[in-house]
Amino acid sequence: MKKLVNFLLVLTLACVTTLSVVACGGSATDGESGEVDPATGNTIVKILFHVDEKSTEGQAYKKRIEAFNAAYKDKNIKASATYKARSAGAAGYETELLNNQVSGTLADIITFDAPNTASYANSELLYDITSLVPKDVQDDFFSLNTYGGKLYGLPIQESSAGFYYNKKIFREHGIDVSSYTVENPWTFAQFKDVCKQLKDSGVTAVDMRIDATKDETATYLLYPFIYAAGGEFTSADGYTATGYFNSSKTADGFNFIKSLIEEGYTSYAIGATDFFDGSVGMYLSSGWTIPDLDHKYKAVFASRDDWGLLPYPKSEVAASATGSWSFGITNNHHTDKTAAKELLLWLASTESSEAITTATGMIPARKSVNTDYEQGSPEYTLLKQLETSGRERPVTVAYPTFSTCFNQVVSALGSGDVTSLLNTQANTLQNEMNRLK
Amino acid sequence: MTVSALIIAAVFVVVFALFAFYDVVTSRRRKVKYRIWTAMTAYLMLLPAIVLAFLFVLLPILYSLGYAFTDYYLLKPNNISYIGFENFKQVFQEIAGRGTLYHALINTTEFVVGVVPLQIGLALALALFVNKTYKSAKVFKVCFFAPVVISLSVTSFLWLQILSPSEKGLLNSLLGVLGVKPRDWLRDPATAMPCIIVLSAWQGCGYQMLIVLSGLSNIQQNLYEAASLDGAGAWHKFTAVTWPGLRSTFVYIIITVFIGACRILTQPMLMTGYQDHTVTLSYYMYQQGYTYRWVGYSSAVALLMTIVIGTITLIQRRVFREKD
Repeated sequence: MKKLVNFLLVLTLACVTTLSVVACGGSATDGESGEVDPATGNTIVKILFHVDEKSTEGQAYKKRIEAFNAAYKDKNIKASATYKARSAGAAGYETELLNNQVSGTLADIITFDAPNTASYANSELLYDITSLVPKDVQDDFFSLNTYGGKLYGLPIQESSAGFYYNKKIFREHGIDVSSYTVENPWTFAQFKDVCKQLKDSGVTAVDMRIDATKDETATYLLYPFIYAAGGEFTSADGYTATGYFNSSKTADGFNFIKSLIEEGYTSYAIGATDFFDGSVGMYLSSGWTIPDLDHKYKAVFASRDDWGLLPYPKSEVAASATGSWSFGITNNHHTDKTAAKELLLWLASTESSEAITTATGMIPARKSVNTDYEQGSPEYTLLKQLETSGRERPVTVAYPTFSTCFNQVVSALGSGDVTSLLNTQANTLQNEMNRLK
Repeated sequence: MTVSALIIAAVFVVVFALFAFYDVVTSRRRKVKYRIWTAMTAYLMLLPAIVLAFLFVLLPILYSLGYAFTDYYLLKPNNISYIGFENFKQVFQEIAGRGTLYHALINTTEFVVGVVPLQIGLALALALFVNKTYKSAKVFKVCFFAPVVISLSVTSFLWLQILSPSEKGLLNSLLGVLGVKPRDWLRDPATAMPCIIVLSAWQGCGYQMLIVLSGLSNIQQNLYEAASLDGAGAWHKFTAVTWPGLRSTFVYIIITVFIGACRILTQPMLMTGYQDHTVTLSYYMYQQGYTYRWVGYSSAVALLMTIVIGTITLIQRRVFREKD
């Protein structure tokens, strides 16, 4: 009898919890205006950054926030920033963001990684800012975070990647790559030929970062190879993977990477610092490697005469990596977005773009920022590549699954059959897209 | 969320009061007549512990139970609908279709089957080794226990260096001396899970070693002396005295190691990432719930996993109890 009573009580509690979970699903407060500090009368605009406050990038944001608060003191708008560094583990930025969303404490403005645009917009986490951002400002960006024809974010800075190469090794073995410029990119065949020359000279040819499949690194660096081969990942609306992710052209792109492994030009076993130690000829990475080569590895790379940057090779077309973090206004319960708009436009202004990219060494997101890069320099190569062949990762609400599927293919390339791998992952991705429809 | 919390708090108070009332009403039948105030005093003293257990143990379980029947998507916390058994249906479809969940189930089973005997065997061997009076025994105890106090993230990183696919990797360079070609231990489906089993057993066995040591100290020495007088050798002493004396200790160890093994997450997450050949049930749940944001579905997997682990644990207890 007592067991039955206990069981019934626990069951009652469980049922009430279920009902309360469902019933209270729509309990967010609506119709509230922006948060106002009663002591000062200032409208507070909260912003969440994805970097550590003490980092170089964090310091640059901090200075721009301080400048905003000084400039908008008379207009009674005050920005309040929170910094939460992104990390691979459960305590990372994304978790903080999602927890804030669940608890209804989402900041007015957030920073977000460009591939999340579709899922955040589709879930109405992001606010449609199409009408808030003047057309001339929109036109001044290299890329915008759009979904369904609407604008949801403004990039903080741009990124592109390429092949860093050790000039000393190339000179020593008589390998000439001077004709492969961003205006005249090399082909897949020419790329492989250089790899062969390096291998024949006893040097590990290239670190393609195929081991970096635990996070977004491999996806970000390798997806342009598939586009260059004429492949695609999803349909234009982002809801179909079958026939795209496992198309023959997509397989061509992956097969090219696989051939580099099989012919011994690259491998999963290349150490993270092997290129910087001078034992690898080329290294695929983003613009963030430039400051490292300029300052950290002086023993091997004493000056820019010792290293250079080559663009992505092309096949059917030229394609290169793009996409970085962006600012977006959230769809939180503050319905008055006027103050948030002011801060967004301030942070995305030419001045902010210049200040932030000066600190980070990345490419400014706005075209009007005076970059003045020397022709042929690594920065020039990245900027021109962005303008001429930059192509964003697939815009799909199922992006996290896409990234996992891509990583699984790359991780198994060394031993698996590409067509079979792509069919399996296309099926997984399609199932996820169907769930999200 | 506030309304939700208030409803749950109100239900909690009602349930608590019902328990107290039921206790008082039935006390006469149990021939221990309580006065209402005596019962209330006792329950009020229990209240702090019960509130904490409710908030941090029972409530999350109940929430998870509730979410399992909804379409809760993490990015849409204000748009949750009851969908009945849809999530459970999807779980079984995923297993039947040999999807990632199927691999997670197989990998977790492989891990449990591998790590439970290995970890307990190692713990027993180490405990017997250090259960001596020689001077260096304490040093060995500290050495064997040290991995337990190091975080799993650190040990995983350490083993990543040992198992590096490079020729310069510790294991590969050692095997290279013997003429063995370098291997990609964690990318190869044949070796990845065995490597994770070995590192997990190495990391965890120190804790079980201490428990076995305390079990050994409870065995009366005169039993060994009597066995010696009967002419028993070391092996006979072990099988006739030590092993039976450690039975209750092993019941506890087997159950706790089994439950811990079923929940493995950190090692595959840090060492291989989300791969079919190493994904486990907890990692699958994390990926579905956080990365893919399907909290409802992830909760359904968690609920089924809890039921399976609970059932196996109950069977284990029943089997061992019968033998006792």
